[in-house]
Amino acid sequence: MHKRASVLTIVSVLLTGCAAVAAAAPIKVGVLLPASGVYAGLGNDQTLALELGFDAFGREVAGRPIELVYADSEAKPSTGLAQVKRLVLRDRVDVVVGIISSAVAGAVRDFIHNAEVPLVITNAGNDHLTGAQCSPWIMRSSFSNAQISREMGPWMADRGYRNVFLMAFDYAAGHQAMEAFRSGFVAAGGTIGGEEYPPLGETEDFGPYLAKIRAAGPDAAYVFFAGGPAIKFVKEWAAFGLHGEVQLAGAGWLNSALYIDAQGDDAEGTLGILNYVPSIDTAENHAFQERFRAAHGRAGSEFGVAAYDTARLIVEALQATGGNTDDKAALAAAMRAIRFDGPRGPFRIDPATNNVIQNLYIFEVQQQGDGVAAVVQEVIPHVQDAPNGCSL
Amino acid sequence: MRSRDRWQLPAAALLAAAAAAVWWRADLFTMELLAEVAILAIFTMSLQLLVGVTGMVSLGHAGFLAAGAYTTAAATLFWGWPPAAALVLSVAVAALLAAAAGLFVIRLSGVFFIMITLAVGQMFHAFFFRAQRFGGDNGLAGTPRIDLAALGLDSGAPGTFAAFALICAALVYLLLLLVTRSPFGMMLGAIHQNESRLASLGCPVRRYKLAAFTAAGAVAGVAGALTAQHTGFISPDLAFWTFSGEALIIVILGGSGSLAGAAAGAAVFVLLRDLLSSGSFWSGLSLPPELASHWQLFMGMLFIAVVLAARDGLYGRLAWLIEALHTRRRARR
Repeated sequence: MHKRASVLTIVSVLLTGCAAVAAAAPIKVGVLLPASGVYAGLGNDQTLALELGFDAFGREVAGRPIELVYADSEAKPSTGLAQVKRLVLRDRVDVVVGIISSAVAGAVRDFIHNAEVPLVITNAGNDHLTGAQCSPWIMRSSFSNAQISREMGPWMADRGYRNVFLMAFDYAAGHQAMEAFRSGFVAAGGTIGGEEYPPLGETEDFGPYLAKIRAAGPDAAYVFFAGGPAIKFVKEWAAFGLHGEVQLAGAGWLNSALYIDAQGDDAEGTLGILNYVPSIDTAENHAFQERFRAAHGRAGSEFGVAAYDTARLIVEALQATGGNTDDKAALAAAMRAIRFDGPRGPFRIDPATNNVIQNLYIFEVQQQGDGVAAVVQEVIPHVQDAPNGCSL
Repeated sequence: MRSRDRWQLPAAALLAAAAAAVWWRADLFTMELLAEVAILAIFTMSLQLLVGVTGMVSLGHAGFLAAGAYTTAAATLFWGWPPAAALVLSVAVAALLAAAAGLFVIRLSGVFFIMITLAVGQMFHAFFFRAQRFGGDNGLAGTPRIDLAALGLDSGAPGTFAAFALICAALVYLLLLLVTRSPFGMMLGAIHQNESRLASLGCPVRRYKLAAFTAAGAVAGVAGALTAQHTGFISPDLAFWTFSGEALIIVILGGSGSLAGAAAGAAVFVLLRDLLSSGSFWSGLSLPPELASHWQLFMGMLFIAVVLAARDGLYGRLAWLIEALHTRRRARR
């Protein structure tokens, strides 16, 4: 009896399997993330969250299975372009997602635009990608550099910080973040007490720059560092004794969930602004964090959330088109029409720039339990970029 | 040296025929690869003039390629030049920069030459990395391709551009072949073999080396201009020393001393990289597709194997093999 039942199940599974294969070709999603090179860690974080997202929101639409085709960009523009050409021309993917580095995004921009395949950028923050160089085919689910830093200027001016020192690495993202902060802060009546741009990848020691901050004597410093240098900067800031002397504030990657534990007490009191903090108290965020923790044994980060939301964006857009991927323009239009509440709050793509419209969270790092964590001070809802030269 | 040389033209002809055959049947993606092979071959042949012919091992050659690429981008995007004129300007700028750098670097040799060329290349990288006008580290997109409308062709089509790049590579090959077979090229070969003897014979060695360095830089400028046209995008990575190193590996892999070897090495490198970095290749061998991210490891193992088994590169081994078969047949007769 049991045996016959199992034989029947196997036969029926095989039959439906064959029928599905015959009836519906898979929907191919090309994933362009670095699995090696400097951004391999971020690429890995997004890969995990993307897989988790498709597990959560469905790996099949209208009978067509969703198949992820991975390509390693190595965070190098030339490799990224070669890989995206392979994804589009050889693997014939229906949509491309990913890209950590803005240089890679810039390299693939024209090819994607001409190939007319929808691309959802899950990290690269270069303002121009959804500004002067925007394309109807390129959407961004993460952030623009200016979007994150712009709101922090007026907020800090309101809190009585009159004189702020700026610091970031000497590269495009660093300058974009600092300019965004400056424009808001100066318009709100603040003054910039000085600024420093150490060379990227060559700065072993922040000591000389911290000395300049002390000499300038500002109320606060606004900085943009991420990854290893962020850990180093916060630790050196404390070791230099600037803790309690000058208020430290930054684009929130300074205290990313990925490494805030490594900063420990040294991060306490730091102010930050970001599109996501793990402590957001909504059902969607709890669901995301529980899934991520169950699968990988640690908290999900803002990088993971962008990939997770991207999976949902694609699945819901495919549902809206009934699984039809032949009409790429309709698929892109469907993506622009999707709205949902994700882990970071309301999510939608701005039809004017193709950049995400999202809440921003201003937080302070505080002691919590046996560690430190980002505690939200204020939520700035529905932050939207100006078109900045983009006309879609 | 001379015994190997007789296979130079047949090898090049074979390579050209193979490229033409592939082009005839290629899909869009293969066209992109072909264009990449052609451009990389121009670059590695220019490096061959330094490394294999003159014996100057440069680890900064990518700097001149990047200079050519940035010149093309600047001329077309900022000044509105047509891409063909920009290509000429790119060659001139790359040659000028190579001559200026050459004045200093040719005074050194051996390890010191490697180090100073490395430094020169990195100076280009550092400059472009901070050049906000060119987008800094984000690079700059939008360089147009050469206008072939006069011939009734659209260079935007992958097949047309691949053919254009392949023809450029063939022309560069012929040009460099003429150079190496000219009295000037013979002198470069002699410098390679015994520089001090040549100097004691009263030969202005430095002048020859400077000329070789400048010529190689100019040809690298061609590769740079074509790179900018092909990808439509430039970034400081083009000048980074790892790219120079890659080209050096290709030259050694292909066969030091031979232009056709350098071109063949470029083809092998691009095709192998494409194969090894493709997840479907590894899953086809029923291995985990994640191995695709480690393609450099396998490429490195291949490189070690070639260097151990064939010190004169793939081309050198092949020529040696043919030569050996030839003499055996003649002996039997």
